[in-house]
Amino acid sequence: MTDDEQENLRDIELTSLTSIYPELQQVHADDRYTLVLDVPVTPVKPVTVFFPAAAEANTPGSAARLRDGAADGANGRPLDSHELAHLPSLRLELSFGPNYPAEEPPRVSLLTTPPWLPAETLRKLEGDAARLWEEMGRDMVGFTYIDHVQQSVDDVFGLVGDSGTLEVDPRHKIGILDFDMEARKAAFQKETFSCGVCLDPKKGSACHKMMDCGHVFCVSCLQDFYNNAIKEGDLANVRCLEPNCAKEREKAAESSKRRKKPRTFISPSELLQIPLEQDVVQRYVKLKYKNQLESDKNTIYCPRSWCDGAARSKKHKKPEGLKLSEPEDSESSDDEGQHTDGSGKTKPYNATTELLAVCEDCGFAFCSRCFQSWHGQFVVCYPRRKNGELTEEDKASIDYLKRYSTPCPTCAAPAQKTHGCNHMICYRCRTHFCYLCSAWLDPGNPYGHFNQAPSGMTTGCYMRLWELENGDGEDVGNGNEGGGRGRELGDDEEERFVPLIEEPEDEEEPEVVAPAMPAGGQGAAPHQGEEARQDNGQVGIAREGPLVLRIAANQPAGAGRGGPRRAPAPQQGQQGARGGGHQQGQLGQGPPPRGGGGRGRGQRGRGGGGGPRGLRQNNQANQANQQRGQQQRRNANINHDEAPGARDDQDEGDHDGGELNPEQRAWVRQFVQLALVDQEDILFEDDEEVGGWVVG
Amino acid sequence: MASGSQKRLAKEYADCTKTPPTGMSIHLANESDLHKWHVTLEGPAGSVYAGGRFGLIITLPTDYPFKAPDVRFATRIYHPNVTNDNQGGICLGLLKSGNWKPSTRLLSVLEAIRGLLAEPQPDDPLEARIAHEYQNDRKEFEKNARSYVNHYAKGPVKFDVAPPNVNASGSSKDGAAPSR
Repeated sequence: MTDDEQENLRDIELTSLTSIYPELQQVHADDRYTLVLDVPVTPVKPVTVFFPAAAEANTPGSAARLRDGAADGANGRPLDSHELAHLPSLRLELSFGPNYPAEEPPRVSLLTTPPWLPAETLRKLEGDAARLWEEMGRDMVGFTYIDHVQQSVDDVFGLVGDSGTLEVDPRHKIGILDFDMEARKAAFQKETFSCGVCLDPKKGSACHKMMDCGHVFCVSCLQDFYNNAIKEGDLANVRCLEPNCAKEREKAAESSKRRKKPRTFISPSELLQIPLEQDVVQRYVKLKYKNQLESDKNTIYCPRSWCDGAARSKKHKKPEGLKLSEPEDSESSDDEGQHTDGSGKTKPYNATTELLAVCEDCGFAFCSRCFQSWHGQFVVCYPRRKNGELTEEDKASIDYLKRYSTPCPTCAAPAQKTHGCNHMICYRCRTHFCYLCSAWLDPGNPYGHFNQAPSGMTTGCYMRLWELENGDGEDVGNGNEGGGRGRELGDDEEERFVPLIEEPEDEEEPEVVAPAMPAGGQGAAPHQGEEARQDNGQVGIAREGPLVLRIAANQPAGAGRGGPRRAPAPQQGQQGARGGGHQQGQLGQGPPPRGGGGRGRGQRGRGGGGGPRGLRQNNQANQANQQRGQQQRRNANINHDEAPGARDDQDEGDHDGGELNPEQRAWVRQFVQLALVDQEDILFEDDEEVGGWVVG
Repeated sequence: MASGSQKRLAKEYADCTKTPPTGMSIHLANESDLHKWHVTLEGPAGSVYAGGRFGLIITLPTDYPFKAPDVRFATRIYHPNVTNDNQGGICLGLLKSGNWKPSTRLLSVLEAIRGLLAEPQPDDPLEARIAHEYQNDRKEFEKNARSYVNHYAKGPVKFDVAPPNVNASGSSKDGAAPSR
C-alpha cells in the first residue's frame, strides 16, 4: 500500500467520522488525525451510585437528592447512595497514526474528569480498539469503535451489577453529584411544561421544579403567588401549588412509617432559587420564625418595651441570615423545658436555669418571673401582675377579645369569626377547633363535634355548627346587629332552627323582665321602651309576658319559631294569639296552661288578688297588641294609665313564680275565647265584680 | 398578573364550553365579564336530584387563581353540604381558602360539585340536620330532597338570587324568603 493510499484512507475515515459525529473536535492544530469526542455517560435507566465509607464525608452543597441517611442497602448497612441519570462524560481521544489502518490500530486514550471510572475499566476499553481493529481485518475501525464505546455506556461499561448499583470512590462524590445536577437541569430546560397555574406551555428554562415533590410551575406564576402570600403574611400557603400535594406526601410518609412529618413548606433557599427577591425571602424567614415563637405559649418576651424580642431558647433558634432552623420535634423539645434528666429523675431546682432569660435581640438579661432585670438567683420575686398596668384602651380590647373571640386551644391565638360555620382553623398554627367551646377538633372529621357520634353521644355543641353564622361581634359579618343573632331569629328556615339552646351571651336581647314597672315608674318607661325597641319594639307585650307565654306553651308550632333562646315574649304573644285562631278547641278544652316557667310571674300576688288583676292587665296588653300592633310602646303606657292599680300588684307578684289556680285558669280560658271573638271587654265592664270573683 | 388571570380564565372558559362536563351548560353572566359564570347543572341520573336543573353561580375573584372561586347554588337544594337558604353556600374542601391551590381548575371544581350531588358527604355537613336525616332516615331525606327538586328545580333556571357577601343588613332576616 502506498503512502498516498494510506493518506487517502485516513482522510476518508476522517470525513465520514466528522459527518457522523459533528461534535468531533480536532484539538491539535498540527495533527488533523487526532480527534476528540465527549461521550455522555447516560445509562439506559438511572443507576444507584453509592460511595462506600463516605457517610462522614457529607457534602451538604450537593445533597439535594440525598436520601437522608438511607439505610436501604441490600445487606442492611447504611449506604450513601444516590440515584443518578447522568455521569460525567467520557473523553475519547482517537488518533490515527501514519500507518493506520493497514499496520497499526488507532491510538486511543480515555479520560474522565473527575477520574471516577476505575483505571482498569479505561484500559480495557482502550484495548478494545486494537481488538476490534483485528477483528475487522485491520480495517478502518473508527466508527465501529466509537459506536462500541457509546453502546457500553448503557451499563456503565459493565460496572453496574445486577442490583443496578454502581460503586464509586467517595473522593469523586461532589463532582459526580454536581454533574448530575447540571445535566438534569440542562435536560429540564430543554423540555416544555404546561404550567398548572397560568395553563400556558412554558419552556423548562422559564419553569421551576419543586425540590420536594417535583411538580413544575412557571417561574412567573410562582413569583406572583409566593410574593403575594409572603406580603400578606399567609405563610401556610407558601407550599407547592399542586392540589393535594402536601396531603399526598403526608399520606405517603405515614404509610412508610417514618415518624418525621414531611416538610411541606418551602425552604428559603428554594425560594431564592425560583428566584424570589432577597428581601421577600428575608421577610418569609422572619415571619416564619415569629410564627414559631408565637405558636409557643412558653415563649418569653423581652420586657423592654422598645425591644419585644424573644428570650433565647433551645427550642427556637433565631434564624441567621436566610437560614431557617426548623423547630425540633415536639417530643424531643417538650421535655427540654422540664427539669428531668435522661433517667427521669427530677433535677434539683436551679433558679438560674429556670428563671434567667436573655433577650435574643438586645441581650438584656432578665427574670422570666418578675420581668425585672436579672437579680441573681437568691432574690425572691413574684410574677408581674398583669392587670394592674393596663390602660383603659388595653382593658377595652381585652374585654372585647373576651367577649367576641375564641382562643385557639393550641396556641391561644384569639380568633374572631366574621362569618361561616363554627369549625375554625387557627390562622397561626392551623389547629382545627370549635368556635363555640374552643375544643380541639380532629382535622380528619372536624364536624363530628357538631354531630352525633356513632355511639349516640353528643357534645354541648351538637347541631350548633351554624350558630353565629354572620360573625361574632358588633361590627363584623353581614351587618346584622348583634352578629349572627339577628340571622338566627329571623331565619325563615325552620330546618335551621335549633330548639332549646341557651345562648351563652345574650347582651342584645332585652331582658324581658315582666312588668318591671314599680310604682311611679313612669319615668322608667322610656328607657324600657328603648331597650325593647331593639327587639321589634314590642314593649307593651314584652313586659306583660305571663299570659302570652302560657298560651304559647300550648302551641308547639308557634313556640318553635321563637324558642332558641328564651324567646322574647312579644313574638310569642303574637304567634300564640294568631295560633289561637286555628287551635281554639285545644285552647279551650285542652290541658290547663302551664305556668310558663320563669315568665309566669304575677299570679300569686299579695293577698291572692294581685294575680288576676295582673293577668287582666296582661290581657289588655295582649288585646291592645293585636289591635294596634304598631304602637306597642305607647300601649304600654296607656295600659298603665288604664290600670294603675295593677302595678303594685304586679310588681309584687313578679317575685313569685307559680301556677294558676283553677279559677284563674277558667278565667283565662274565658278571656281567650271572648278575645277571639273580640268581646273580651265584657269581662271588664264591672271591675269590682271581676276582682270579687277571683278573690272568692 | 391581572392579565395572566384574564388569560387563564379565558382559557378555562373556552375549555369548559367546548367540552362541558356531563350534564352542565356554562355561560357568562355578562358577555364582557369573565369573572361571573352561570352554570346550569342537571341532577345526576340515579340520584334524588335527577330531573332537576340547578343553577350555580361562580364568582371568580380578581386574583383568581390565587384565591379560590366562590361557588353558590342559585337554586334551592335540599342537601347536607349546601346551605338551606337563599345563599346556597357549598361546603367543598377544595374551595376553602386554606386548601385552595392555584392549579385547581374550575372543571374539577364543577365535577366535584356534581359528585357531591351524586353522593352527599354527611360527615362533612353544612346542614347538620339534613346530614343527620340523610344518615338515619334516608327515606325522609329522599322525600324532602325530591320535593325541593319539584318545587325549585323544575323549569328554567333563575340566577337572580341575592349576590353573596353583600352587606345585606337585615336582608337575611326578613327578606327573600320564598313562600312554601
